[in-house]
Amino acid sequence: MSDAQILDRGYRRYDGERSGVRGAVRSVAWHTTRSILGLGRKGRHKVFPIIVAVIAFVPATVFLAVTVLFGEFGDEVRPEYWEFFGFSVMAALLFTAFVAPEAIVRDRRDGMFSLYLSTPLTKPTYLLAKAMATVGTLWLIIGLPVVMAFIGYTVQSQGPDGFPAWLGVAARLLASGFLISAIYSAVSLAASSITDRRAFASVAVIMLMFGLSIAVNLIVEEGRMSDWLSLLDPLGTPLEIPARMFGGESEEYAGVATWAVALANAAWLLVPSAVIAMRYRNLEAV
Amino acid sequence: MRHDAPVSVISTAGLTMQFGSHRALDALDVEVPNGITGLVGANGAGKTTLMSILLGLRRATSGTATVLGLDPATQGAELRALVGYGPERNVLPEDMPASDFVKHLAEVRGLPTDEARSRASDALWLVGLGEERFRALGSMSTGQRQRVKLAQAIAADPRLIFLDEPTDGLDPVQRDEMLALIRQISAEYSIDVVLSSHLLEEVERICDNVVALDAGSLVASGPLAQLVGDDEGIVLEIVEVPDRPGALDEVSSSLTGAGFVVRPLAVGTIEVIGPDVDVVADGVRDAVAASGARLGKIVRRRRRLEDLFHIAAEMSS
Repeated sequence: MSDAQILDRGYRRYDGERSGVRGAVRSVAWHTTRSILGLGRKGRHKVFPIIVAVIAFVPATVFLAVTVLFGEFGDEVRPEYWEFFGFSVMAALLFTAFVAPEAIVRDRRDGMFSLYLSTPLTKPTYLLAKAMATVGTLWLIIGLPVVMAFIGYTVQSQGPDGFPAWLGVAARLLASGFLISAIYSAVSLAASSITDRRAFASVAVIMLMFGLSIAVNLIVEEGRMSDWLSLLDPLGTPLEIPARMFGGESEEYAGVATWAVALANAAWLLVPSAVIAMRYRNLEAV
Repeated sequence: MRHDAPVSVISTAGLTMQFGSHRALDALDVEVPNGITGLVGANGAGKTTLMSILLGLRRATSGTATVLGLDPATQGAELRALVGYGPERNVLPEDMPASDFVKHLAEVRGLPTDEARSRASDALWLVGLGEERFRALGSMSTGQRQRVKLAQAIAADPRLIFLDEPTDGLDPVQRDEMLALIRQISAEYSIDVVLSSHLLEEVERICDNVVALDAGSLVASGPLAQLVGDDEGIVLEIVEVPDRPGALDEVSSSLTGAGFVVRPLAVGTIEVIGPDVDVVADGVRDAVAASGARLGKIVRRRRRLEDLFHIAAEMSS
């Protein structure tokens, strides 16, 4: 007698646990992150994320390399931690304009939005999953380079003195990166929510972020207008968050009170979020 | 077998949906038992609105609904974990392999990753796409995409699936195969099915129950066997012969004069409906004998789903 047996698995019952809404959000967020980064997709979908990542990491890598190679001289030319965020701004702009719209535009075009809403997801939890994916991925571009530099300097014994100080800097870097990512993501997703074409979404993001930024800076500088007008710049205003957190301020916002910077950033987060919510409230799922 | 849970899979009472001045659903009272249920009606009849309420995606203006014993309005997420849905739209992510697509949706419906992967594979084999499961959806034919939509609807082991026009765009052979597949899924795996369709013929072929809507109102609801079948009428074919021209018109007017409802069906063929099939048969015999017409065929009339809509229209007018 043999113990060997052939099992016919085939289609069968599933009586195990189901992960519910939390699992659904996690699954969609992870799937969206992979899709944004081009993972599991053809090579051409990976090209742009790689270019953006290279642009984002080059400045931090160069400054870190200078410190490693030249010791104290490197320390002299090293920027403040909050200034690192500014180095990633072009990469962030490219990401928000050309990569982030992928997170929601595609779902409406290829029917995934309807399918997602036939699962435990609701419109708010669907948008939460998409926001998690976009903010998380954008943080890799905005926040990770400076965190990498911070860890590098720490390893080179050129980080903050003492563990409490180190922890304070780390917390402010993480919070700044998260807030900047959240604001840029909100603007990008708001622009992407009004069109089903990714190209139009990209144009809308560039107009809103880059176009408005240039216009505001021209008006303030050439027109000798108040620095407070700079708060209308969606690209620059979020970068003022780390500056104020670290007790500094950039030239463009020199005369602007910190409370106004906080308020303007809250508006840049909440107004686009409201646009997304309104757009999706009226969107038919089935 | 799993048709074990609630006998009434779907139940609505006074379900009404009002969009401004337009009433999309008008006080629907529906009981849907286990098995395959056809949700039929023309475009704009309210099928999609009803499905979206039953899936918990829209709140009814008034009335109540329960699906699998849950209230879609307040327990939507819990309900949708137990339900599969195959949308009407044939647009799917072009560059995604079928297996990844089905697996991802099974995960979103709550299955662990490993289970979702193996069940995605099983579901694709079941719908006949086992060999094609790693192909990108964009390279698949309409028939294959319809099968993928069915596979994703069943992969997470739902108790109920909503299929919106699942044979849309299929040729007759593919349509037969799809209907057989739906029948198999319901019969072998005890998954209840609500099939929304405007094709009455396919609903008659596979459904156990019917919910028929017209302009938001319930036209008919119940077991298909009770709604269709032999009725109190006769179908009559008159053979055209040179010595009796106009015999069919003569028979028709004679029967109309006797109080029967007479409707032309095709060239030389009419259907005659009366209160009792024996009375109709006597009337037909007398009219044919009197006119001297030559009979080609005489059969008992079969009531079809289409007639339910005619009756509703006649009643409302």
